[in-house]
Amino acid sequence: MLKRFASHDTHTTSLREAFIHALTGRRASRPKPHFVLHEVDLEVHRGEALALIGSNGAGKSTLLRLIGGVFVPTAGTVRTSGRVAAVLELGAGLHPELTGAENARLYGAVLGLERAVLRSRLPEILAFADLGDFVHTPVKYYSSGMVARLAFSVASFLEPDILLLDEVLAVGDEDFRQRCLDRIEGFLESGGTLVVASHDLQLVASLCRLALWLESGRFQGLGAATEIVARYEARHRPGPEPEARAGEASP
Amino acid sequence: MRSATSADRGIRLTTARSRSGLKEIAASRFLLAQLVRRNLTVKYQRSALGFLWTFLNPLLTVAVLALVFSLVVRIPIESYWAFLLSGYFAWNFASQSLLNATYVIQEHARLRRSVAFPAAVTILAACGSKLVELLGELVLVTLVLCLLHHRGVPAALTSVPLLVLLLALVTLGLMFPIAVLSTRFRDVQHAMPIAMTTLFYATPVFYPLDLVPEALQSLVLLNPYASLLTLFQQVLFEGRLPAPELLGIAAVHAVAWMALGHLLFQRYESLCVEIA
Repeated sequence: MLKRFASHDTHTTSLREAFIHALTGRRASRPKPHFVLHEVDLEVHRGEALALIGSNGAGKSTLLRLIGGVFVPTAGTVRTSGRVAAVLELGAGLHPELTGAENARLYGAVLGLERAVLRSRLPEILAFADLGDFVHTPVKYYSSGMVARLAFSVASFLEPDILLLDEVLAVGDEDFRQRCLDRIEGFLESGGTLVVASHDLQLVASLCRLALWLESGRFQGLGAATEIVARYEARHRPGPEPEARAGEASP
Repeated sequence: MRSATSADRGIRLTTARSRSGLKEIAASRFLLAQLVRRNLTVKYQRSALGFLWTFLNPLLTVAVLALVFSLVVRIPIESYWAFLLSGYFAWNFASQSLLNATYVIQEHARLRRSVAFPAAVTILAACGSKLVELLGELVLVTLVLCLLHHRGVPAALTSVPLLVLLLALVTLGLMFPIAVLSTRFRDVQHAMPIAMTTLFYATPVFYPLDLVPEALQSLVLLNPYASLLTLFQQVLFEGRLPAPELLGIAAVHAVAWMALGHLLFQRYESLCVEIA
């Protein structure tokens, strides 16, 4: 499965440019293609917990979006079976002027919760998010941790078949993280499939059985989480050669 | 989900979950309702008079226009203020919605990069919240006109819902291509206000259609809003049932623009995720 993007800043033409191109017969200059993911072949079975690790810009978020159906691969196919819920950008869909409760309802609808389910389980969702009286305060007054708790709470009540998380477990205090992990573990126990991108290698190793390592969109390894994490740490251990790390930086 | 076709054509298919077909949109109707609710809640939050402001604003414009076009540039209509009032809010709905269409996709860009759902839902929600406002405004307008102009309740008022439906369909149909064009060419966002002002003069909002020279009338009727505005004026100002020929023209416009707009949107909507 390949994913390629034209560099975004050259893609938006102004009408004037397009007109001139048409007049002079010159084709619009093709932006040099920038591949975000190269030939990633991945098969995840039901009930599996897969971690995506890699430096920034490795393509982890893009991969999650491909699985989530937000992006279309330039080449190859993406096939999923079952309901997919994704918490990819914390707070996306939450409106700062609306209260926590109003946002929970909105975000629930965005993620695909049915009206009946949402109505009956809204109190539970809000309780899990542990927002106290802030439930009726506009979200713009929330700390990032509170936003994270709200978003994650709604997403976790979706009871999807496949749950996609993009580094969302970084925020929140220890107590909340533990409750999230409990919830995720419960989710996995009931047969759900998890794909999570994270920089927290310890979490990755403890929560996930498998790990996929990407660097600059290229496949580096797939296998048992502990083993992949060890290989990743070996490559990235701060050492006397700074060049070795610079080589990993994304274009 | 299908793999991409020739990417060089610049046309890519969206995934099944974010395609804006009728089935997918119907499946998202709860989300649509929540987005409309969100649009309205956010707009009227912490606003004491709330909805009244939405009504007062265009009302002020109507007052100014009524003064100018009955005292200065004298348009030969008795109770000109009532004539203007009968059509203005329909126009207001249209121009606000079309302007909204130029940024609705960008507004939801962050959200659509995170969750896959049909882009058309955001446009429908934008139109939907404006429609709710229009309905409220029409209730007030009808009240005022019945009390001060008709001094009664004309039976023709029953055709107003049909006119609103046609108005909504035309506007929605136009919103789709405008939304996609605005995503691809930023100029459209800048050009729209001027286009709307021009369209205002090209549409019989503050003047009646029969003031237009016969030779030009058929040209003017190419503007989907020309027939619609005249219909609103016929029902709300004259208190008579809508003329069948005009109704037919408006219906054709509604169907045509809706079909065309939706088709175009489905073809180019993948742009709305990747370059929004």
